[in-house]
Amino acid sequence: MAIPHPRDIQLAVVEWLDERYPFTKAVDEALYQRVPNFANAFYYCFGGMVFILIVLQLLTGILLALYYVPDASGTPAPAYTSVNFIQSTVFLGWLIRGTHFWGANLLIIMVILHMARVYWTGSYRAPRELNWIVGVTMFLLILAFSLTGYLLPWDTKAYFATEVTIKLAGSLPPVQLGTFIKEILQGGAVVGPPTLQRFFTIHVFLLPALIVLLMYIHFRFIRAHGISEPM
Amino acid sequence: MGDQGLVKKGPGAATAETQVPVIEVESHGHNLEPDYKRLPIGPDHILYPVVVGLALFPILMGDAGHHLADDMPDDETHPFFPDHFWPYPIIAVLMLVVVGLLAFFVQKNLQLEVSADPRTVTIPRPDWYFLFLFQLLKLGPELIMFGVVPPLIVTVLLVFPFIDAIAGPRLAKRLRWKSWPVPGRNIYTGAAFVIGLAVVALLELWALAGPLFCVPWPLTGMVCGA
Repeated sequence: MAIPHPRDIQLAVVEWLDERYPFTKAVDEALYQRVPNFANAFYYCFGGMVFILIVLQLLTGILLALYYVPDASGTPAPAYTSVNFIQSTVFLGWLIRGTHFWGANLLIIMVILHMARVYWTGSYRAPRELNWIVGVTMFLLILAFSLTGYLLPWDTKAYFATEVTIKLAGSLPPVQLGTFIKEILQGGAVVGPPTLQRFFTIHVFLLPALIVLLMYIHFRFIRAHGISEPM
Repeated sequence: MGDQGLVKKGPGAATAETQVPVIEVESHGHNLEPDYKRLPIGPDHILYPVVVGLALFPILMGDAGHHLADDMPDDETHPFFPDHFWPYPIIAVLMLVVVGLLAFFVQKNLQLEVSADPRTVTIPRPDWYFLFLFQLLKLGPELIMFGVVPPLIVTVLLVFPFIDAIAGPRLAKRLRWKSWPVPGRNIYTGAAFVIGLAVVALLELWALAGPLFCVPWPLTGMVCGA
């Protein structure tokens, strides 16, 4: 039996897919969708850059999670030694951690620039109000990412900064709400191993799930409404 | 092709009239690009699996709604691929290079301090993106500066499209403006934006100036940087 040419295999796969979904039509539509010329301005790229950075953060975060140990018991704590291990021993660990760290900083800058562009050009106006709300929520989530990620290295700076943050959150009125937030975040009488466990869970499971969901909604809205009118 | 398609140039010469076939496919009121302009990437092309990734977008995100480009003449629009798409892979690579270089050359920010010990005493200083908030807390009672001002700003930001849509036209009517422009062309919302950014920048710089840079503040006495 002759070995089929790779092109024939590809065609067969495309045909198989086409029978189950209008696949080639979808590719064609995606490729040749029209975009207004004014959207070529550099500041229309900010949203795309935010997306690229979020993907980069998710990927580097997964790689860091392979070695990170969310345990704050003992001195030095395994969390601290694992970050040290990533930084100094793991092959290219310093680069992955550095990329995650600087990517987070760049992400905040790009989100602010993107929001500024959307505000300045009035892209939040009808029918895009809901997308604006989704965007602002995503911005808050990104700040929450930074806040929870800050504690993970479990060094002195991270510990005391988190202690202040939790203290502030605990002072929110009414008293019951403040106490409730403090208990939820801290997980004990003082900032300790349960706090790290909770921040790790929020940073690695809860927030990524929420941001992916909101990104999906954000893109669906963009797909439905397209690019807004020029200023 | 009939005789009408032949153009005589010079004695006895006959050449076929150049015709660019336009593929009539419904694409939101636009004809697809003429055949000669389209990329020769069909289902049998070696690069087809690469462009297939783009198809995931409409598959996952559903059909496109009515876009602004659908009502614009062809010469004021361009195809998404490759005209609009090509900068993004370059931007992605550039950003990767930038963060890689930062990770390589600016190691100082990545160095760990000693392992956390609750018995030590350290005055914490948050990262740059929370520094303005940290400084804001010093300007008044903590309860107001943390529990009222930031939630209020976030709420205003969230509902701003509705504020702009409801209060904007009323103000425009009072000012006898024909319409309520977007912030980029609006003295009120534009100025609010610039002032807001300036306040954040000032608080940030104040905090960055360090603990020795103190300014008298009417509500809380001397306020120093972080």
